[in-house]
Amino acid sequence: MGAFEELAAVSEDIHNPLIADWKASGKKVVGFFCSYVPEEILLAAGILPIRLRAPDCSDISAADTYMSHLNCTFMRSCLQFVLEGKYRFLDGLVFTNSCDHVRRLFDILREVRPADYPLLHMISVPHKVDDDLIAWYRGELLEFKQAVERCFDVNVSDDALHAAIEMCNETRASLKKLYDLRKADAPPISGAQTLAVTVAGSSMPRDRFNELTSELFDELSRQEGISGYRARLMMAGSGGCDDPQYFKVMEDMGGLIVADSLCFGSRYFWMPVETDGDPLLELAKSYLIRPSCPRMVDSVSERCDFVKQMVIEFKVDGVVFQRIRYCDLWGGQMLPMRESLKRWGIPLICLEREYALGGIGQLRTRIQAFLESMGR
Amino acid sequence: MAVKSNVLRDVSDSLCFVSDMVGTRFGDKHPEWSWIYGLLAEYFKEVCRAEDDGKPIAWINFGIPSELFYAMDIVPVVADVLSGSLASIGKATKYIDIAEQYVPDYLCANNKIILGAALAGDAPPPAIFVHPANPCDSNLATYPVLAEHFDFPYFCVDMPYFRTGSSASFVATELKKLVTSLERIAGHRLDIDRLKDVMQHSNRAHENILKISELRQAVPCPYSSLEAISEYGLVLSLAGTPQLADYFERRYEFTMDRVDRGEGHLPREKEKHRLVWIYGAPTFDFSILMWLEKEYGAVSVANMNNNFVMTPVHDISTYDGIMLGLAEKLTLLPMTRECGGPWENWLDATMELIRGYKADAAVFAGHVACKSNWAVMKLVKDKLYDELGVPTLILEMDLFDPRITSSDSIKAQFDKFFATILHK
Repeated sequence: MGAFEELAAVSEDIHNPLIADWKASGKKVVGFFCSYVPEEILLAAGILPIRLRAPDCSDISAADTYMSHLNCTFMRSCLQFVLEGKYRFLDGLVFTNSCDHVRRLFDILREVRPADYPLLHMISVPHKVDDDLIAWYRGELLEFKQAVERCFDVNVSDDALHAAIEMCNETRASLKKLYDLRKADAPPISGAQTLAVTVAGSSMPRDRFNELTSELFDELSRQEGISGYRARLMMAGSGGCDDPQYFKVMEDMGGLIVADSLCFGSRYFWMPVETDGDPLLELAKSYLIRPSCPRMVDSVSERCDFVKQMVIEFKVDGVVFQRIRYCDLWGGQMLPMRESLKRWGIPLICLEREYALGGIGQLRTRIQAFLESMGR
Repeated sequence: MAVKSNVLRDVSDSLCFVSDMVGTRFGDKHPEWSWIYGLLAEYFKEVCRAEDDGKPIAWINFGIPSELFYAMDIVPVVADVLSGSLASIGKATKYIDIAEQYVPDYLCANNKIILGAALAGDAPPPAIFVHPANPCDSNLATYPVLAEHFDFPYFCVDMPYFRTGSSASFVATELKKLVTSLERIAGHRLDIDRLKDVMQHSNRAHENILKISELRQAVPCPYSSLEAISEYGLVLSLAGTPQLADYFERRYEFTMDRVDRGEGHLPREKEKHRLVWIYGAPTFDFSILMWLEKEYGAVSVANMNNNFVMTPVHDISTYDGIMLGLAEKLTLLPMTRECGGPWENWLDATMELIRGYKADAAVFAGHVACKSNWAVMKLVKDKLYDELGVPTLILEMDLFDPRITSSDSIKAQFDKFFATILHK
């Protein structure tokens, strides 16, 4: 099996053989929601961090007995997985107050499955950035570290944190290098394939991921680039965008996805964490100042600027702005995104979706129309 | 050429009309209703005068202490009171429609009304927009975007998710940063003596609010359903003014007198049910509350939003003491308290209300945009029934937009609830 096949296989399920091997060696696995959870703290504790998803969740009827139809289907799908026991291999779940849906899932879990996970923790993340707020977030990370230490009877040293930061920085550098390859006129990897790689990176031991991405570069160097596409697209928008098949539908229409502003994509790895000084402070700073989610109130225009920067760097023809229904945060961002991209002459299509892939015919029609509107 | 609308003047004119009408129709029987509407009308007139005089007007979101603005000679307009008032006079839906051209329909109508009015050019730009980071995503999604779009000054008071020993001091630091921003807007430094005066008014009002809260638990309930809902806007808009302090002083005496005489808003024999609205209530039609009284003898004895049970600011002798006290109030203010943190905050406050007010049913006026409350509604409903034996009527509606669930539909659901669940 080649590197890409191995990574793609990991992305297809929430559990995978690498996690099973990790658990078999007596080590812990902790799931987390949202890219504002510094996975370095878990890695430094010898714990495997897994970004939570609910792949192929097509029935959320059990979750619907708790949450409402007015809650996003990403969280309802994750709750379904909780209720079905599909996260039972996890030794803990970590949340942030990233959005109303996520924080309420934390509440429901504490009420209906309090004993299933030894570690149930929420990190309170600030909504803007200044020195006081970075200090607050650092304090939250310290509490999180202490909770991990207490729960799993481990010690997380500064040295271990520095090593974890360096390991994750290596992952970030690899992913950035992968994205750089997509700047080519004939990129060696599609958007769907790239998403599979980034998702896999959040679902497996990071050292193995770093090895596999090195092998992947060798594979890609031997491959012919993708040409003959109709337009170069960029994906932007809300969380829960972790299904490569969603990208594939668009790419099958001829819209090659070459860049993104997604928390499962570029926003996760775009900026490395500084390795000097107090590691918790460096984590707090880096996680707060990198390209943001609209939960951060002081970076409305920066989010648009980041999209513009990507459009230029990756020679993007049009931007696909997708959001899960009932995601208020990205819903509000539609206004400045539309206005800014219009001002800059960048074509934009706004799509609303559910977590599980559906309405493919309608999606094809919209993408077809978008491509045609760009004269492609 | 059409005359340009101005939402502040629209609300002011309508409230003046309502105030006159209430005075004429109910003045003898319910003088207290005239006090509320008279005060609200006078407040909005003052806002309009400030606009005419070119005084700075700040838009603030519930939770932000009005006291700071009055101390700085900046007129606060609570966005939520403005949007609720527009809904109550039937002028909100056009702004919702305008906003929905730019943002998704599922954002909160409370926010969409403000956004739509601004985009329509019907809302004069504020000197600054201030909101807390709690309680919901819709605020976070809308207000920074609005400020960015129109390029007006903006401040978000960040708040820790959990209330801990240190959260108030953190919020106090945020409020001090806000004061620095307000000083730039006002063009002068905060006068600490002025702030102390304002805080005296604030505390005088608040002490009476607490005393009234105890009286309101009496059977029969001395407060009408309408007042239980309407005072929320008054407190948010006028905290720190002598007018609000006078109102609650008078209201306390009036309520005390009623309780002493054993009287309720409804005569004892006609008070059949005591309802607690565990979230908001339909701002587009408060007459539903009066219909409930008339049709079912169901008095809405309490409402989550009008549950100002936090303590007044203890130390008003120093700047630090005042800021800490205001920060504590902010973290415990209704809606911020129930909707912004862990679900237990909502559950605990609700159970306390139901027990204290001796309610026999809870009503969840489930605002379609309030995803956080909907997410844990089942947990709350089950606890209320299991631990207190109190049933909950769950209604799905938009509190500001009658097109989602009409008044008739809401009444029909109450009919079924009374016929089946309460069996009385």
